[in-house]
Parts: sequence; structure tokens; C-alpha cells
Amino acid sequence: MKLKNIILFSAATLAFASCEDLFEPAIENNQDITSMYKDADFARGVLDNAYLVLPYSDSPNSDLATDDAVSNDATNSYKRMATGAWAANNNPVNTWEGSYHAIQYCNLMIDNADKVIWSYTEESVNQMFIDNYLGNAYALRGLHHFYALRAHAGMAEQGGELLGIPMHLAYVDAGSDFNEARLTFKECYDLIMADWNKALEYLPIQYKSIGDKSQLPAKYSQIGADITGYNKAFGDHHRGKIDGKIISAFKAQLAILAASPAYSKSGACTYQEAAKLAAECLANFGGLANMQQDGWKIFDNTTFLNNFGAADEAPAEIIWRANINKTQSFEVNNYPPSIFGNGRVNPTQNLVDAFPMLNGMPITAAGSGYDAKNPYEGRDPRLKMYVLVNGSTIGHNNAVINTAQDSEKLDGINKENGKSTITGYYLRKLLRSDVNCNDENSTFNHLQIRIRATEIFLDYAEAANEAEGPKAKVGGASYSAYDVIKALRSRAGIGLDGDSYLEECAMSKDKMRDLIRNERRLELCFENHRFWDLRRWMAPLNETAKGVSITTAEDGSLEYKIIDVEKRDYKDYMYYGPIPYSEIMKWSNLQQNYGW
Amino acid sequence: MNKISKKLLAFLAICTAVTPVLAQEVAEDSTLVNVAFRKVAKEDIMGGVSSVNIAELMEKNYNTYSLDNMQGYVSGFNGAGMWGYTEQLVLIDGVPREANNVKPDEIESITFLKGAQAVVLYGSKAANGAILITTKRGKVTDGLSVNVRANTGWAVAKAYPEYLGAAEYMTLYNEARANDGIADPLYSYETIAKYASGANPYRYPDVEFYSDEYIKKAYNRTDVTAEIEGGNERAKFYANVSYYRQGDFFKFGEAENNYVDRFNVRGNVDVKLNKFINAYVNANATYYNSKSANGGSYWEAASTFRPNRVAPLIPLSYIDPNAAQPNSLIGTTKNFINGCFLGGAQTDLTNIFADYYFAGENTWTSRQFQFDAGVDVDLSSVTKGLSFHAMVGVDYRTAYTTAFNNTYATFTPTWSEYNGQDVIIGLDNFETVDKHSGVQNISGSTDNQTIAFNAHFDYVRTFNDVHNVTAMLVANGYQQSESAVYHKVSNANLGLQLGYNFDRKYYAELALAAPWSAKLPEGNRAGFSPSVTLGWNLARESFMEDGLFNDLVLSASYSDIVTDLGINEYYMYLGAYQSGGWWDWNGMSGHAGVQSKRGANDDLSYIHRKELSVNLRGSLLDRALTFDASFFTNKTTGQIIEATNQMPSYFMVYYPESSFRPYINFNDDQRTGFDIAVNYKKQFGDFGFQIGANYTYYTTKATKRDDTNYADKYQYREGKPLDTVWGYECLGFFKDNADIQASADQSWFGQTIAPGDLKYKDQNGDNVIDNKDQVELAKGGWYGAPSTLGVNLTLKYKNFTLFMLGVGGFGGHGVRDNSYWWVKGEDKYSAAVRDRWTPETAATATYPRLTTGNGANNYQTSDFWLYSTSRFDLAKVQLTYDFPKSLFGKSFVKGASVYVSGNSLLTIAKERDILEMSIGSAPQTRFYNLGVQVAF
Repeated sequence: MKLKNIILFSAATLAFASCEDLFEPAIENNQDITSMYKDADFARGVLDNAYLVLPYSDSPNSDLATDDAVSNDATNSYKRMATGAWAANNNPVNTWEGSYHAIQYCNLMIDNADKVIWSYTEESVNQMFIDNYLGNAYALRGLHHFYALRAHAGMAEQGGELLGIPMHLAYVDAGSDFNEARLTFKECYDLIMADWNKALEYLPIQYKSIGDKSQLPAKYSQIGADITGYNKAFGDHHRGKIDGKIISAFKAQLAILAASPAYSKSGACTYQEAAKLAAECLANFGGLANMQQDGWKIFDNTTFLNNFGAADEAPAEIIWRANINKTQSFEVNNYPPSIFGNGRVNPTQNLVDAFPMLNGMPITAAGSGYDAKNPYEGRDPRLKMYVLVNGSTIGHNNAVINTAQDSEKLDGINKENGKSTITGYYLRKLLRSDVNCNDENSTFNHLQIRIRATEIFLDYAEAANEAEGPKAKVGGASYSAYDVIKALRSRAGIGLDGDSYLEECAMSKDKMRDLIRNERRLELCFENHRFWDLRRWMAPLNETAKGVSITTAEDGSLEYKIIDVEKRDYKDYMYYGPIPYSEIMKWSNLQQNYGW
Repeated sequence: MNKISKKLLAFLAICTAVTPVLAQEVAEDSTLVNVAFRKVAKEDIMGGVSSVNIAELMEKNYNTYSLDNMQGYVSGFNGAGMWGYTEQLVLIDGVPREANNVKPDEIESITFLKGAQAVVLYGSKAANGAILITTKRGKVTDGLSVNVRANTGWAVAKAYPEYLGAAEYMTLYNEARANDGIADPLYSYETIAKYASGANPYRYPDVEFYSDEYIKKAYNRTDVTAEIEGGNERAKFYANVSYYRQGDFFKFGEAENNYVDRFNVRGNVDVKLNKFINAYVNANATYYNSKSANGGSYWEAASTFRPNRVAPLIPLSYIDPNAAQPNSLIGTTKNFINGCFLGGAQTDLTNIFADYYFAGENTWTSRQFQFDAGVDVDLSSVTKGLSFHAMVGVDYRTAYTTAFNNTYATFTPTWSEYNGQDVIIGLDNFETVDKHSGVQNISGSTDNQTIAFNAHFDYVRTFNDVHNVTAMLVANGYQQSESAVYHKVSNANLGLQLGYNFDRKYYAELALAAPWSAKLPEGNRAGFSPSVTLGWNLARESFMEDGLFNDLVLSASYSDIVTDLGINEYYMYLGAYQSGGWWDWNGMSGHAGVQSKRGANDDLSYIHRKELSVNLRGSLLDRALTFDASFFTNKTTGQIIEATNQMPSYFMVYYPESSFRPYINFNDDQRTGFDIAVNYKKQFGDFGFQIGANYTYYTTKATKRDDTNYADKYQYREGKPLDTVWGYECLGFFKDNADIQASADQSWFGQTIAPGDLKYKDQNGDNVIDNKDQVELAKGGWYGAPSTLGVNLTLKYKNFTLFMLGVGGFGGHGVRDNSYWWVKGEDKYSAAVRDRWTPETAATATYPRLTTGNGANNYQTSDFWLYSTSRFDLAKVQLTYDFPKSLFGKSFVKGASVYVSGNSLLTIAKERDILEMSIGSAPQTRFYNLGVQVAF
């Protein structure tokens, strides 16, 4: 008996000895990079990372560090940045890690795309997929370098040469020399443009399913591709990824940055060239004649949003978009608190004052008709479409929002810390008006727009005006800066009875410049442009963010008192961002921008 | 697969199966101490080990937790850890188990294996030290022996934090707003006056969480335990059956019924199968339930929920009978308490009071079954002194929560005034509704399993009366698995121990272990841990004969043990890609991305604990006075870090979770210290006296770090204690704007600086205050207080026994950084803010100016918020009366005793108020107990 026990005992011991993790680790799904050769899904997943960290945000953030908006959240990192906390080791607009990390994956794809078996059946399909992925990889490598350049370019010493960033044109492994120096701004510019030109060799101008063999590009019909194969590799369902049209917009964006006052001395790009690249991009979208008339309020077009299909061709206003999301988070963040929002983004009085009157004149101009006792009437329609002012309505019940200091509800200025507005205004743009934030099932389609045609129109106007003046047609365009601005203003509904202010500005490049910049501020507000625009223009950074405190006088009329809400504390060197502090400490060849 | 290990195990098994049979010598066990896989005579232990006889201790000091205040009895253990290490391996009867699932009345003894030489045979997972808890076993008795013990006691809160009432809060909140430049006060003087008057606490609420309206003065804990044992030379058994139930502080709603209870049965049997084989079986079953009202933590709410926000209950009588809207809306709810409905506000649609009344209840249930069995085989027939031992343990735990989850409507009143009377003219429920699910939800199901085994050949023999030889060859291991956790916790080890002493005068011991870790790359999985100990009992030398000492043993030990503790994951050496972050380019075609998880490092290897220790132990005055002192210094080398400073920062991003960084062996630490235990025991006629004192001191140092991310030497982590509190050096409050202008720029924190904010020292002189100005402030005592004192005293007079225990910890520091101290924004205001800075109180203020912002400048770790955690506690006093045996005569009762005791009775500390205050968690308590014990 005892012998049997002992044997049982030992058997148990032996059985135990074979347990996983005891002698060998339990198997995990760990693969090495060569797995991509035989698994197209794996290969696709490698490049996905460069898409996952795209430098776009679906809600206002860097805007909160400008004179356009403030956050009611005391811990917001952009608020802290604007009030003095911006440093090389505390940089909310840092893209260093995200960009270069994404570029690692782009380079892995560039190195390996032709070794992947994308199709086991047809060699032509295989070749088309190689082109698709190589094209995307080059385009994304350029894009990530572009955003790293915007965030980190600068001068090592004041007045010195404009430096760019290190350019990663090959995968960096653990044995590489990490102690890299920065290239010049111009070198970076040229290499980025080269990547995009390379991408254009591989990508179609637009992803589009074809129905006729004659539409097949010659290079693919030569290798025996058919319609089905082409549609697999380049058809409608790829929409949302980068194609030739989108790359043309990237080029316009980089060009206007490089031509701007902050970077022009690098010699990377002239305004002529910038205007030309913008015009070329716009030509892909039908030019000025095809400007979408409701492009300025497409965010609130619920019919469009509800019906837009994943593989649909976007309307002319939308050059690049992200996917469609059913959500209510934008509204929960930004609706006023009485309708269960958190009132996060608070537009400033500065921005409100930048909207002209309906007649096109700035509110400060003599004879504009502006009534300080009734400040929101007779104004540019964009004001109430972008900013929720006192007395506006929003939400599924069309709640009237009272932002006055003596408001009975939480929506009044500074009523409930962290929920109420601190400027007297709430965000309106980018929000749908039909969400019930007190019901978590009340979710609706939202579409994040990454590049709008309006932006490229404004790029063109800015570059054309600087290059040859308000009424010149530059870079092959059939329209001038003046034409663009006139179209933008009239589609918004201002200056319809003869836009005297525009005509006045069209007489002077300087006045036109101010007008174009103001139009850009209005049209692109809350889309995270102004922070960067102010910097490339070398415009003042420390305009105090203002708000309005509204009280009811004894006679029932409202009194508007302009108040200071938040001071901006940027130093002169903060026109250029810092290189991350940790990297400066590690790598002796990496030069920091001056001041940081 | 490690073929060698497998073969060895097979060899052990075969040896066991074919081994012939021989008689075994019976060892005396009166002074035996449990150490790794064996028992050793106390005088043969060469340092690094302390033990406590719990069975004896329980006769005078009743306790409910196995490791309760053990620093009061043993040196080297400071409550948090041993010899500067924490996270010891706890083995209960040789199986890794939780220390809180064995009650002191089930325990025979606890051994603390402090030194590296004491744990080497256990392998990797015991490298931080081990605590061996050995349960009671049956003894040879004359018939059944039954012992019954019952206790009942009350827990009383030591202290409650103080928060400002509504009116004071509102006044100071206005001040905070003004400080932030918001000119208009939020609360008018008239409004505040109404809150202050208390005339209508429903319209102008002033909620006090710690009032006796909600909280009891004390709650009860009661337990009862029966121990039964018996047996003869062939078979012995022991059984312990116990139950306890503990209440809670609340006296309202469902929370009034909160309780925790636990029932357990433990039993073991020892059987002598024949002349040379003994076998044993141990089993334990624990049933644990914890029932509480739904709705999160009341104590958390008590630290955050401001007094003026919501009246939780509002009498229905306030509703204007003529107003149709509120009367109709209130008809939609059935949730009333004493004629009151649930009050709310748009910003507070729920609150903890309403939760505890109407949100339902939940019960967490845990069941543990623990089973282990073993054999001891005497192999003297093969070789005299040889024996074989093997055991296997299987534990299983399952836990789950059952709940009834309800929602409720709250009603926000609109008040008005008729003829000087407050009335409610409108109600708004903001779409909240009553919902009684009536369905029992089961959630949080977890299962845990432990399998443990060990088998060893022991050789113990004495040659020529003076040459004492011991040897052991051991294979041991365990695995712990948890539901929904893919990988298991594993320990596998082979050990060899060789010991020799000459006439118990000169000692030499060698222990070797070969741990195996599947967490390391192939080729590095087998480790090697040597340990050498030399000892000398001077008292046995002729020159010491008839001297002062009965014993005087000096020993020294050097060990280099390897461990995979600190290698937190499997495959950390492997560069690998895995599917991860989901990507969807257009809302239609989502799929998983593929991310690199880490860079490869084929050289990843074990972490070492290299330790030198010296022990001096002795007894004198006829062994009435004993002492035991150790000095230790060790280095933990090659700890794993992610190669952050060696690689560019872009090698890793948090989203999508992706990294090309390898893990490397890099950091080294050093721990040095000493401990000493002194005990004196004497009987003077009817009067007995026993005192024990223990003292432990340790210090730590980071001896190797990569500090390239610090520009200034004073920020280097290398050379600093491991528990360094880093922070700013505070220079007091900013006096005025001129002071701010003249000082270094503090805007880096992202808060507008104003007079009354804290001013910090610009350590690097760059005229900017940022994290480069943080310096070493103090020791945190994170591995237990730097020095620990324990004193226990037993006084006996006839049948009375008085026991007292004091424990102290000194040299540690804490930071006042919880919500009681760091009051900002919409936080609840504690009494601390009364001492705030204002222009008028600038000279005497001890708290910064108030703010409704984030307070980011002031609420940084700085010496301003530092406090000493040094303390001495009167941890226990117990008075026991043993009824004289003569009383029972020949009745079936054999003995009885009664006792009263108090826990945590007194704290002596400079910062006692802070130390005794719990913020966001249940109050600390003193416990007063009455107990009785009867033996049958």
C-alpha cells in the first residue's frame, strides 16, 4: 500500500514537472518581422502604426494655448503651456516620439513591401499591393517628418541658420548610431517633398473602383491586371487612406509653412512656389469654381453626416478625413453644463471680436453698425455657427443657454468650476446640435476632417497675395487672393451688398494680408491651426485671453463687461518649439533650439 | 524543456519507490526551529533566522492576524519587510499561501528567514526572505483534548478628519475665487448667512459625514474557535473550527447591515504507517463573505463631497401642496425615508447617502480549499542517517461578487418663500428614475490555484560523537495560476546542503541551489546560488568554560543567490511583434495593427543578492538572558530596467503600445544594517517576569543607476537611498508681487503665481523653477521604517498575567499630499485651510493661499509638506486570569481563563494627528476585546 502511495506521489510530481511556465514559458503569439512576408494581414498591420499616430486631433487642443480659446479645466496641459509651463521637458505639442516611431514602421514597410506575398494567386495583384503600400509608406514618412519639422525646427542660436530635424530614411535598429545631428530646414524640406513625389509614383490620384478596362493604368494592364484585381488594390474601399489628391494638399501645407516669415530665410520655398502648389492641389478639387457653398458649416450638416458612407467619395470641401464614429464625446466635453456637458472649450472675446459685421466691416471700423449693447446682432453668420453666445440654443431640446453672471443655471460664467464657461462663451463648431448628453445611448455620426479645401484656398490666398498682390493670379491659377476671399465671405453670407471693406483691402497687400489672416482665423478656428499660424507669421503670442461678464441691469437690459480671463506667457524664443530635453541630454550631436 | 530537471525528478521518484525500509531515530524536538525543508536545533542555527512560538504567545496575547506586530518579538523584521527587502515569500506548511488566511490560534510557530543563507534552498522566489508559518499538529493525548475560545470586542475610531461646515466653506471659497482674480463672489453674504443659521438644513444643507447621525461610536467583532486534538503513537489528529463576524461603522440604510464573516475548518492527521514511514495530510477550508451596500466608499465621499451641495433627504412636507408639478413628479418614486424624499442637484444626481439607502447591496464571497500531504521515509537501512521526505500541496480559491443593483431618482427642488416659510414649488429629476432590477448579478469571478511540491533526501549522522554531518538534496517548486491571467507564477529549484560541525564548536555549512527560470532566454535559465557559513561556539572552548556565557556563537556567512523576482514578465528578452491597436481608416475596414513589443536582449539574466552577514548570539545568567545580533550588507545587482536612457526616446510610444527598447540588467542597490534581540526571563516566587526588546536598523543606497537624464549631480539617483523622497526646497510664502518679480520664475508649474504661494529654491541657478530643482528631501521608509523598536513585557503574579507590547518605527517621512492637505478647485475644504495665507495673516500662516485653480505650484512634493512618520505605539495590553486547576477537580473541564485586551491603545509621535487620520478610507481603530478560553 505504501509503495503504491509513494508511486502515486512521484507520478504527481512528474506530471507537475511538465507544467508550462515552469521550465519553458507558455507560448505567446510572438512573431518576428519576417512573418510579414507570408502574412499580408501582418504586413498591413506594420504600416497601420504610422496611421495610428497621425498628428491630427478631433478636438481643439493647441487652440487652447492661443488667443482663440481657453479651457475650463484647470489641469489642461495646453492651458498650463500657455500660462508659462512650456518647456523642453513639458511640451504638449511635442511630436518627436510619435513621428519618429511611426517613421520606423514606414521604413520597415519600405524595406520589406516587395518581399511580402500580398496575393498568392495573381502576380499583378501582388504588384499593385506593393505599389499601394510603398506609396502609403513614403507618403506617411514624409507626413510624419513634416509634423516633426513644424514642431521642432528652429535655430541653435538667435539669428543662426534655420535647422530642421534628423531625417530617418532607413530603419533604426538597436545597433545604430543614435547620436544624430539635425539637417538644415531646407534639406528637410527637400527630402520630405522627395518622399511625397516618390509616393505619387506608386499611388493613384484618387482611390476609385473602376468598371471598365480602359480605365486601368497602362503600367498595370501591361502586367495583366484586371478590373477585379485593380479594385482590390486601389478601389473605393481604400478611401480614407492617402492618395495623390491628399499628397497634393500635404505639399501645399509644407510649402506655405516654409515660405512664411519664420522660415523663409531658409530658402526652402518661395511664396510663388507655395501658391503654385496650393493651386495644383485645388485644381484636383475643381478650383475656385467648385468651392463647396456650405463648406463653412459642414460640421453641423447632420443629413450629410448621417448618410456619409465609409467608402463614399467625400464632398469637395473635404480633402482628407478620418473614419466615421458614432459618439457623443465631443458634445459631452463641450456642451454647456445645464444640458450635461462639461463646457471644456471656451472661445474668447478676442475671437468673437474678430468676426466682422454682416456688411463685412470689422466691428471697430467707423460706420460698421456694431452695437456694444447688442453685440451678437448683425454679425457674420459664422459667429453663431462657431461660438455659442449668450441666448443661443443647442442640444436635442434646443435649450436656451444663458451664460450671464446672474444666470439661474450652471451655464453662467464661473458658476461651477470645471463645468461652466470662464469666458462667457461655449464652443459651437464641430458639435452636433441634436445630442442628449444625459442619455449615453444618444450617439451620432461624427466625421473628423483632417484637411479642408478651405485651408488650401487660404494657403493660396496668402501665398498669392504675398507673391504678387491681392488681385494677381499666381502659379497657374485662374483666380486671385481677392477672388478667394470674396468667395469665402460671400458663401458665409457677408458683404453681399458689395463688400466695401474687402474692396478697400484689395487696394493694399498689407491690408489684404491682415484680412486673409483674419479670414483664416475665423474659417479654421478650433481646428488646431492658429497656434502654428501665429508662429509662422511671427505674430504676437501674448494677447491676453478675454471674456465677457454679462449682468442684467435694473431696467432689464444686459450689460457686457469685458474681462481678462487668462494671460499668455510665451517668451520670444517660443516661435520655435524645443527638441525633447531627454534627447538633448543623451546625444551630444543633437542641438537644442536657442532659448530652450 | 530542462531534461536534467526531469531526469532528476524521475530519479528521486524511483529511489523513493524502491527504497527498502529501516527504523528511524526519534529526534528530540523541544528546541527545534523550522527552517528550509527541515528542523534544526536552535543552537545549531548560524544567523539570519528568527522564530516566534505563536502557540505560547497566544496564551497571553490574543491576536487575529498571523503577522500582527511581529516586529515586537523578532529582530530584523520591521513590519513591512526584513533586512531592507519587502515582499517576502510566505509559506504556510511549506506551500506559498496568504498570511491572512491562517489565524494565530491555528499556528504553532513562525520562522523569519532573513538572511540569504537561510533562503538559498528555496530558490528564486524566496530571494527577498521567507516567512514560514507552521500550523499546530496533534499530540499524543489521553483521550480527546478540546479547547474552546470565544472573543467579543469593539472597534472604536481613533480620530476623524475635520472638514469645514457649509457657511465657512462658502466664505473661504469666495476668498479663493478672489485670489484667482474672479471678482464676483459665488455666494452672497445673505446666502451664506442662511447656511450659517441652520434654520432650514434642507434648503441650505450642511452635511457632516462624521456626525452620529450616520456613524456609530463602535462596531463589534466576535469570534469563536474550537480546537480538538487527540491521538496515540500510531495516529494523531488536530482540528480547528472557527467563525468570526465583524460589523461596520454605519447606522443607516443598507449599510447598517454591512458585515464581514469567515468560517474555517482546518485539520491534519499524522499517521505512522510502519516503523519507517510516517505520512501526514493537512486540509483547510475557508468561507469568507463580505456584504456591503452598493455605492462605493463612504469614506472617499466624506473626503470629497462638499457640505453645501445637496440635502440628501428632504421632508415631503416642504412641497407646496398647491403646486401640481412637484406633487405629480414625486408620485413617480417610492423611495422615501421617514417622510423624506431623495434630494439631488444637476451636478450630483447620485450621492453616497442615497446609494446606501436605495442602490442595493453586494456580497463578495471567497472560498479557499487548501490541501497538502507528505511522507517521511527513514532510509537507515540503506545508509544510517539517510531519510527521504516528499510533500505536495494543492490550493484552490474561488471568489465572486453577487449583487442586487438598483438605481433611484433624485429630485432637485426649486425653493420659494411664502409668508416667510420655505416651500418647494418645483422639482426636477433630470431623467433619473427608480429601477429595481430584482436580478442577482454575479461578477468578478476569479479562480486561483497553487500547486507546490518538494522532495528531499536528508542525511544526518554523528561520527565518533563529535563529527556531526548533515546533507540534503532537494528538488522543489510551485506554480500559481489565476483565471484570466495567462502566465503562471513559477518557481523551480534544485538544492544541495552540506553541513559539518565539530562537537558543536566549529561549524561549516555549504548550500548550493540551482534555480530555473522560464522567464530568461534559453541558455540563461539555469542559475547557480552558492552560500557558505562558518560558525564558532566560543562558550564551548576551554578558555570560556565556567565563564559568564552559557552560549556564545559567532558566525559569518556569504551568499550569492540569484532570483527572477523583478523580472516581471515572460519573454522580456525576446524582440517580438504582436497584434495590437485597432485601426480603421474609414469606418468600414477595421483591423488590428502589428506592433513591436520590445527589442531583443539575449543576455538577459538573473538578478543577484550578494550578502555578507555576521551573527553573534549568546546566553548568560543560566540562560535567563539571551541575545542575538546580526550585521548584514548586501548588494542587489543587475536589476532589470527598460533601456530608456541607452536608446532614443522614440523607440517607445504609449499609443499604439509599441516599443523597440530592450530590457537590460542594469541597476544595483545596496542594503546595510543590523538587528539585535535581547530577552530576559526570570521567576521570583509567585512573580514572573519576562521582557524582550528588538531593534533593527537598515539603510539603503542605489549603487548603480543611469543618470544621464539629470543635468545636475544633486539629482543623480546613484548614491542616494532607495526610499528617497524627492522634491523642492521651500523658502516660505511669496510675500508680495515684488517678491515674485525678484525670485526665480515659477510659471513652469502652469499656475499663475500670487502672494501666498510657495516659493522654491532655485538649485541650479537658471532662474527658472522646474523639476531640475528637485532635491533629496528625506528618507521615506518605504521598506519599513529605517529603525524599528519592539518591546514586549510579561508580568505574572499567581494566576494573573499582564502582557504589554510596544512597537516603534523611526526615521521615515511622509508627504502631506492627500486631499485633506492639497485643497484646490472644487475640493472639500478641510480644517487645514483655516491656517491659510492671507495678506493679514502673512506672518502666522502655515498653509498657502487658497485657489480654485489646480494649485499646481503649491501642491508639489516639497519639504513644506514633509512630516516625520516616527512613532511609538502601545500596540497591545492584555490581562489574563487563569482559573486555578483545583477549581475544576475531576470535572470534564480541565482549565479555563478569561482575558481583556486592548489594541493600538496609544501612539506617541510628534505628528500623531496626521498618523492617526485616515483620508478617503475607513478610520483607524482601537480595539477592546473580552475573551474566554476553556479546555476540556
